[in-house]
Amino acid sequence: MASDALQKQVATKWQDSFNRLNRGYPGISGLMGFSEAWAIAADFLYPRELGDPPKDFNTQKVRSAFDVLIQCRMLPMLLESFVEDMRRRQHLITHDVMEFMAEYEASGDPDAIGRLILRLADWYMAWAPGGELGHTLSSAYIVNFQTHIFSILPPAFAGGFKRLIAATLALSTEPADAAGPSSVQDSKLWTSFELLGLADRYESLIASVCYEHIENHVLETCQGKWDEPMLSTLREWMADKVVPWMLLPYGRGAKTTEEARTMLQGVGSRFDFHVCKTLCDLRTKEIFDIIIDYPESSPALYDLKECLQRVDQRPQLVQALRKLNKRRLLHPGADTKDILTQYVSIIRCLRIIDPPGVLLFKVADPIRRYLRERPDTIRSIVASLVVDAESGDSLVDENEPIQPLQGPQVDDYMDPNWEPEPIDAGPEFRTNKPSDVISTLVSIYDSKDLFIKELQVLLAQRLLAIKDGNYEKERRNIEILKIRFGEAPLQVCEVMLKDMTDSRRIDQHVQSQTTSIMHPTIISRHFWPQLQSSKINMPGQLKDIQESYAREYTTFKPDKKLRWLSHLGSIHLDIELQDRTVTADVPPLEAAFIELFSEKDQWTVDELIARVGPVDRTTALKALLAWVDLGVLKEEEDSSFRLLEQADISGALRPSGSRVIMEDEPAVVSVQQQQAEQMKVFWKFIEGMLTNLGSLPLDRIQTMLKFAPGYDRTVDQLAAFMEAARREGLVTVREGMWKLNR
Amino acid sequence: MDQITTSLVPGARASAKSAVAGAGNESAGSVTKRLSNELMTLMMSSSPGISAFPKSDANLFEWAGTIEGPADTYYAGMTFKISIHFPPNYPYVAPVIKFESPCFHPNVDIASGAICLDILQDKWSAVYSVQTILISLQSLLGEPNNLSPLNADASNVWDSPAAFKAQLVRYYRPLTDEHSA
Repeated sequence: MASDALQKQVATKWQDSFNRLNRGYPGISGLMGFSEAWAIAADFLYPRELGDPPKDFNTQKVRSAFDVLIQCRMLPMLLESFVEDMRRRQHLITHDVMEFMAEYEASGDPDAIGRLILRLADWYMAWAPGGELGHTLSSAYIVNFQTHIFSILPPAFAGGFKRLIAATLALSTEPADAAGPSSVQDSKLWTSFELLGLADRYESLIASVCYEHIENHVLETCQGKWDEPMLSTLREWMADKVVPWMLLPYGRGAKTTEEARTMLQGVGSRFDFHVCKTLCDLRTKEIFDIIIDYPESSPALYDLKECLQRVDQRPQLVQALRKLNKRRLLHPGADTKDILTQYVSIIRCLRIIDPPGVLLFKVADPIRRYLRERPDTIRSIVASLVVDAESGDSLVDENEPIQPLQGPQVDDYMDPNWEPEPIDAGPEFRTNKPSDVISTLVSIYDSKDLFIKELQVLLAQRLLAIKDGNYEKERRNIEILKIRFGEAPLQVCEVMLKDMTDSRRIDQHVQSQTTSIMHPTIISRHFWPQLQSSKINMPGQLKDIQESYAREYTTFKPDKKLRWLSHLGSIHLDIELQDRTVTADVPPLEAAFIELFSEKDQWTVDELIARVGPVDRTTALKALLAWVDLGVLKEEEDSSFRLLEQADISGALRPSGSRVIMEDEPAVVSVQQQQAEQMKVFWKFIEGMLTNLGSLPLDRIQTMLKFAPGYDRTVDQLAAFMEAARREGLVTVREGMWKLNR
Repeated sequence: MDQITTSLVPGARASAKSAVAGAGNESAGSVTKRLSNELMTLMMSSSPGISAFPKSDANLFEWAGTIEGPADTYYAGMTFKISIHFPPNYPYVAPVIKFESPCFHPNVDIASGAICLDILQDKWSAVYSVQTILISLQSLLGEPNNLSPLNADASNVWDSPAAFKAQLVRYYRPLTDEHSA
């Protein structure tokens, strides 16, 4: 039972509503008008099937109908009923979407997606209430329509969409391949994206398509192509091909070029960064081979330099190069000379990329450490220092000016152009100003002395090898080296060179007194590196020649005496046999042996060795077999040799079976051998201290070895040496205490 | 005036002192040089059975030495440790040498290890070196000077091999590693 108050309230409400709808018209004519207007509006808005014939609406009538509704404040109700209608008719769109998606999934053709989108756009246009009906209505429509579409699009759509975008991009960048899907070329496509809100929703997807496209393009065009600058070409490509496409998704609604440019600026710089990054990654991966190809690959290095300025990937570059060096360069299989060549190329290349040298410093460290451990590094460097005309491959660029070696430099704070160290320089980074390659190589080692020593050995070898008396080349080399190393260290070399010219002068003088067929080279023992010592005695007439020459020399220089190094040099022999004369240029040992055959016709090897002096058997055999090859001697069964006064026709061409293959030893003792000599001295000291002090720990031995003159080994070297001694059973070690093995 | 002299005097004294010290260093330097040379010669010479080396790298004036008994003597197959102390004015004064391991010998004091050898006392000359001393000591083992014995017992039994050998073995202690470090 409703109370009066309630009845009254309902009555008031009713009256209000009636008044609102009737708008003060007489009777219910207002109400009727409203009803008519509602019907027209609802019919106008009703979502229709696409194929249905569009109804003919009188715009005037529709507008007035809406006006009526607005007057009655019934627009929200209309909106509600419209949304409800849309919801009921949604199945039409869903049906279409499913159809197209099924087609796409079957064919994988992005064209299906393109058509789907165009179709959706059609739906959108068909259902749209028309902009003139007010903002509220259209925005409510957009939200509802998009919500619905997004809710029904299957997951496969994203992939398809991506492919569609890629297809448009490909179309834009490679117009030659114009046989793209039809929908892709439709200019309405992008408007549809915009219409459906896809452009915003899939923005990151569009960007990723573009990134991928850039990556592929960079890899395709730049991989392994180092001989021309690629970065500018890539940028041109971006401007010509990609930017026009970018206008579609990113420059929508730009009215002027100016406007478009500002809109594209942000995204354009992102893409440019990506170009640089991709190229940088690629070049970083290829860096080792680029360095090998230097200088042909220098354009690639300039590209890399520019990229690195844009993209901060210096640490990655350092890491990659260090890893590659370790894997491809610093292993026992690599030739020291190759390592040095590559190191020099690395120096040059990284100087292009990074002039201050921070990258170089970081990369070079392991190489330098490795080179220090190689025994023949110094020799290789020295060999390349001495420019050889015949072997053109020198580490040093001939165009590089010869300059003195540069030590580590101290910062000059008074320099107005002083610059702080680069930001990524490590604490132990030393600014080495662009110095020449040789300085850098020499600085691998702490002192120059090792080089000087090796240089002397090399020079001695080369001087002794010269037969025609033309020392100009060596003189030139020494002058060049003087500029590099300074006068003082090369004084010894100077003396060696002077010895050679002096020898000729003295020889001329001696010859003028008594002609001798011998032309010795007289060297000052103290200034030459140790020569292979061998004490062979020249027999017979060879000895007479030596002695008479020595006598003449002593009269010329009374305060000096010759000490013969009989085993060096060469002798020109004419051997007169009964039926023939054999002419040969032979080493002294061979000459000595054949001289002995003038005493008797048959000798055993042991007899020969006994006469000539301390020669090991292999060397002796080798000398004798040389004569066998010349057909002068014949090997008998009982390891004796017989002189063939008459040529042995039958065996003359017989190649000797027992030929000993042996490499010619250089006349000069190498630095390595000299070090071994030194180590013998140190061993005496170690022996001495272990005898008297009992067992000692390694560091104690190391400090005690300072008593030995010239001891400069590190503890590690000593440890290796002691370990070697232990293997030979000379010492034993227990709990770190070394003890003589007695 | 007084003030000036007083202020000058300590300075003068100090400079005099430093001059003396400098001279001392110089002579120490030459002794060190001589000792290093002797060490080098000793190491490079291969005299069998004798050896010596500085006890530590910090002090070149204290050496430890080893002497093996010469063959065909009572001491064959035995090894003796000795200590060598070089005075600061070496080589103008003989080094002080003592046996560290007990040595039963007419010219060696069994308790203190002191040695009675003419070249280590009045016959010392600067031309002698560690090497010559060690060689002399080694030969002293085989040919003692029984006229000036430090160990009368040893001197008495020297001519009776069996008795001497017995005494020698009683005192002799073979080398172990404990003496080191």
